[in-house]
Amino acid sequence: MWWFIVTDGLLFAGFLASYGYGRILAFNWPHQAEVFSLKYIAAMTFVLISSSATMASAVHAMAEDKRRDALKFVVLTAIGGIVFLGMQAYEWSHLIGEGARLVRNPWGDASFGAYFFLLTGFHGTHVLTGVVVLVSTAIRLAGSRSTKDGVEMAGLYWHFVDLVWVFIFTLFYLL
Amino acid sequence: MRGYWITWGVLLVVTVAMLWADTATVPRLAFVVFMVATMLTKASIIGANFMHLRAESAGIVLTVVVGLIVTAVVLFVLIAPDATRIHEMVNHYGPR
Repeated sequence: MWWFIVTDGLLFAGFLASYGYGRILAFNWPHQAEVFSLKYIAAMTFVLISSSATMASAVHAMAEDKRRDALKFVVLTAIGGIVFLGMQAYEWSHLIGEGARLVRNPWGDASFGAYFFLLTGFHGTHVLTGVVVLVSTAIRLAGSRSTKDGVEMAGLYWHFVDLVWVFIFTLFYLL
Repeated sequence: MRGYWITWGVLLVVTVAMLWADTATVPRLAFVVFMVATMLTKASIIGANFMHLRAESAGIVLTVVVGLIVTAVVLFVLIAPDATRIHEMVNHYGPR
């Protein structure tokens, strides 16, 4: 799992380095506060951080062989992931409604939309994959088929998704 | 399990500090340094406490840290001067 995380992380590192390149090139990069509601993005961050805490609790419960608690926390984590995806879908539809496209946007540099959709879309796909993994883990836990290692692997992936969001949140939404 | 929720609280406090800094009037360089430092702090907290990296062998820790952070920094440092040069050229000569 660590090898997967490192290679997948390198992909995100490449995207973020490319974003840094585009950002330096740009003359009129939009001011984020005029495009996004930072309170809304902060709420998305809160959901993801909270889901990471519930996932860590699930791994801990599983290590102590408390399967019922582990199942409860895995389900809570999956709900957190679904809420995050719903919030991201709303953000996307809102920005598309305001004219954001891959090649143009009403706020400034043309590449802004491309970087926004690429970074958040690729991350969102990871969240969606994570939700599928969590639901499958929950089903296996409910049927007493999941192992400690299975829950731990699902947890590692989910924390990785949270970790990547820390970088996107800071570099794209705040800086 | 309590430790995970303490970590959760610390992450939330750091996130609130970042949002506060975003609204404060501070010099751009100080703002960038603060944001990058807090971002790396959050990433380290998640890696160490949630992903249990501090309980892993030194080999895994080095692979993850060197593999991700150093490669990302090297990638950016290699291409950033090029972007800066193009930006300055466009600024000087105007767009094509």
